[in-house]
Amino acid sequence: MTAAVETTMAAGVPRRAGFVDLGAVLLTILTIIVACIWFFPVFWALSTSLKTDQEAIADGINILPSNPTFNNYLYVIQHSDLPIWYLNSTITSVGITFLVVFMSACAGYAISQLRFPGRMALWWTILASFMIPGTALIVNHFIIIAGVKLLNTHLGVILPLLVAPVTVIVYKQFFDGIPRDFREAAVMDGANEFQLLFRVYLPMNWGITTALAIITFIGAWNNFLWPFLAIQNEKMMTVTVGITQVQDTFGVAYARVIAGAVMAGLPVAIAYLLFQRRVTQAITLSAGIKG
Amino acid sequence: MLKSKRNEALVAAVLVAPFVAIYGWMFVYPTIQMVILSLQKAPLIVSAEGQSSFVGLDNYMRLFKDPIFYTSIKNTAYFLLLTVIPGTAMALAIALMVTRLKGWGQSLILSMFFLPYVLPITVVYLIWDWMMNFQFGIAQHLIAFFTGKPVNVWRAIPWFMPMVALITIWWTNGFSILLFLAALRNIPKEVYEAAQLDGATRWQLFWRVTFPLIWPVTVLCLTIQLILQMKIFDQVYLFSQGGRTQVTMVMVQYIFESAFIKNDGGYAATVAVAMFVVVIAFSVLNFQALRAGGSR
Amino acid sequence: MANVELKNVSKSYGSVQVIDNLSLKVEDGAFTALLGPSGCGKSTLLRMIAGLEEISKGQCFINGTEVTQTPPSLRGTAMVFQSYALYPHLTVRQNIAFSLSLAHAPRKVQDEQVGRVSKMLQLDQLLDRRPAQLSGGQRQRVAIGRALVRDPKVFLFDEPLSNLDAALRSQMRVELAKLHQDVKTTMIYVTHDQIEAMTLADKIVVLDKGIISQQGTPLELYNRPANKFVASFIGSPAMNFIKADVASKNGDGYTLALPGGRTATISSRGGTASGNSVEIGVRPEHLALGAPGVAGSSFDGTVSIVEQLGNTTLLYVDTAGGTLIVEGEGNLRVAVGDKVGLTIDSAQSHLFGADGKVI
Repeated sequence: MTAAVETTMAAGVPRRAGFVDLGAVLLTILTIIVACIWFFPVFWALSTSLKTDQEAIADGINILPSNPTFNNYLYVIQHSDLPIWYLNSTITSVGITFLVVFMSACAGYAISQLRFPGRMALWWTILASFMIPGTALIVNHFIIIAGVKLLNTHLGVILPLLVAPVTVIVYKQFFDGIPRDFREAAVMDGANEFQLLFRVYLPMNWGITTALAIITFIGAWNNFLWPFLAIQNEKMMTVTVGITQVQDTFGVAYARVIAGAVMAGLPVAIAYLLFQRRVTQAITLSAGIKG
Repeated sequence: MLKSKRNEALVAAVLVAPFVAIYGWMFVYPTIQMVILSLQKAPLIVSAEGQSSFVGLDNYMRLFKDPIFYTSIKNTAYFLLLTVIPGTAMALAIALMVTRLKGWGQSLILSMFFLPYVLPITVVYLIWDWMMNFQFGIAQHLIAFFTGKPVNVWRAIPWFMPMVALITIWWTNGFSILLFLAALRNIPKEVYEAAQLDGATRWQLFWRVTFPLIWPVTVLCLTIQLILQMKIFDQVYLFSQGGRTQVTMVMVQYIFESAFIKNDGGYAATVAVAMFVVVIAFSVLNFQALRAGGSR
Repeated sequence: MANVELKNVSKSYGSVQVIDNLSLKVEDGAFTALLGPSGCGKSTLLRMIAGLEEISKGQCFINGTEVTQTPPSLRGTAMVFQSYALYPHLTVRQNIAFSLSLAHAPRKVQDEQVGRVSKMLQLDQLLDRRPAQLSGGQRQRVAIGRALVRDPKVFLFDEPLSNLDAALRSQMRVELAKLHQDVKTTMIYVTHDQIEAMTLADKIVVLDKGIISQQGTPLELYNRPANKFVASFIGSPAMNFIKADVASKNGDGYTLALPGGRTATISSRGGTASGNSVEIGVRPEHLALGAPGVAGSSFDGTVSIVEQLGNTTLLYVDTAGGTLIVEGEGNLRVAVGDKVGLTIDSAQSHLFGADGKVI
């Protein structure tokens, strides 16, 4: 990244050809430093997880492990319920993602394209839902789920987390934006509403569906409060909840605890790194809604 | 379009049914139930079917005199003070730095800032709990450098909220950074070129060109952060475990504690309703204040 | 192949009446153009025939069967949209076969039909491309193919050439003409471009604010316009209109006092002028150019603009009757500022009354 290549936009100063723009260079260096500081906690966690327990608590500052080892990870996998928690998280997160995306696409399509009694009322109810903080409803969710005897089950974890008005709104606005011509052409070709939704509208832009799916997945995987309340049985816990239990199990084995944490965060981190563009897209979309 | 109206309504009903069912059962119904519950005394862990009794506005009367409730509001407000504006300012600063970069360099730097956002709160908790560990945490070296000795940040009350606020900013900033990046990208190059030709310095460029142009997004970020952070629970709960939780309690935490620790579902619902009112009031005020500020 | 009939149809959007009590017959196998300016209702009419718009009042028949309430895909019609509306996520092959695939036609049938259509439209090389990889003309052919594969009784076109540049437009016009010759299906073609209508249509229906202004063959409309609207809309460059007073009437012949002092005698087509002022309609090619001051000419004037097109020359001449456009030979040697005389060809001219109708 040479100064000659950079165009300074937000803090613009005209670049004189042939001269090095000192301000620009310094800013870039500053950026890198700040980014490294910001990233340090993650880096430190990774580094710690590869140390032995003794090295982790040893005196002094050892930035990197002297003998990196995966023993901690192996230990957590073998001596805790982490693999089971992984399974639970996967089941609930995938279930939530699929159901939310499917339901929201259907509902968003209906609100956007069809005329039916109660359409506007439904739309306003969805918009108004932002006023009510979801976290305030945890008590009632608990009562309801307990009432149908779904505590400590996957379904019990999934159900309250299926409420996702933002996804419906994004889909509705997306469908609104598709030119009418496509609909009419498909209608003339003989498509019914279901074929229109699943063979024309959704396939025209899988990107939006992918973006919403990924962000929903990440949100579901990371959710703490509700799975924490709904599950007492250690074998049914999601990994996000489970790793807070590991602390007591392992006592002062910090490196192992951190290894567990790394494993818990790994899937969503990978999902982000692979699908950066989609995640960015989903966030800007949903932020536009909240505004 | 020619189609029978009834047919259309039927198809629509099929399409919205799943969503409406879930939404009704898991959102609308609980909201109504919450209000009703707040008028009851309702232990949650019951052995028999409902030992709840109607107590009218007793719970609300209790709430008005409840010092812990006011503490929770105070703590929440303190938390907001520490996170909303500083966090947004931080995000803007980072966005300004990142937007100057190009290509894979930008991607890399951006992911370093953004990665925390996709991590579960418990992972964030464990990472920072380890970093700030009283005996072995690496950050204690830094703290000792400034204050002379290591500090148990989770137990030393003056340190607690600022620490949680810092971690929250670290965790959630990615969202605001993305929004600011998008806004900065939308400013046409010509505006800067014209200002530069007029002789503007970097500082002036920012305050007189960039900042006004991204004001709408700034408002958006502030609003979203405000509403979001009012609902915190996870971080505060996790970090205050085992300590004097009542001193650092926040609103949602109080709901949680009333319901599940003190087994008083009715009172918890009362707190929830009160919180609901506070959130709405804050949102409206916030909206008006920023509206007024923006029209200068 | 089928004829189309609209009986007393009206269309309103809320309180806005777009089409009022319009009746129209489209012959079997004919190429009929619906021509008019923006907002005249031609697209609405087409979409009512297609079934994409509801007919507020009246009936629509295709081949004798009433289809007023029938859904679009069951009417035996197919439509080519202005924007082509090709499904961007499907290949050309899949786009064309879409209607068959929706109907769950067997794979073999789909392939056969696609093959037939792509051969006719020379799309064989493009079958596996996506619309984004095609040029405008190719996309249009795919849109036509998608309609063709359904073997429609009536082909509907909604301004299909307006998104193309001029050169491509002339080329596609020829292809459309050939298409009509090949399939001989009833075609209804909406356009605002009178050249397209004139070159392609067997019959033109000119629409003005929701009513039929005139319908007939292209030459009928050109040579015998029924009103000022049609006269001014058809023909390029547009017809000249000159205000004149009626001096005397002799049978069908009207002697008119021209601005500038001279006279002209033009026959009416059987109508009578109400009142004293009329408008003379004369096309640029029916104004003869000569020296100024010659007896029997209609106007003296000064040339203000000369447009040399190579095969013809257009002159804008300022006269007492207004600025008149005159069409002359390609090798005409006239300069701006020249003084000329113009003579109206009475036999080819028209008289229009105050109500705009031809007299």
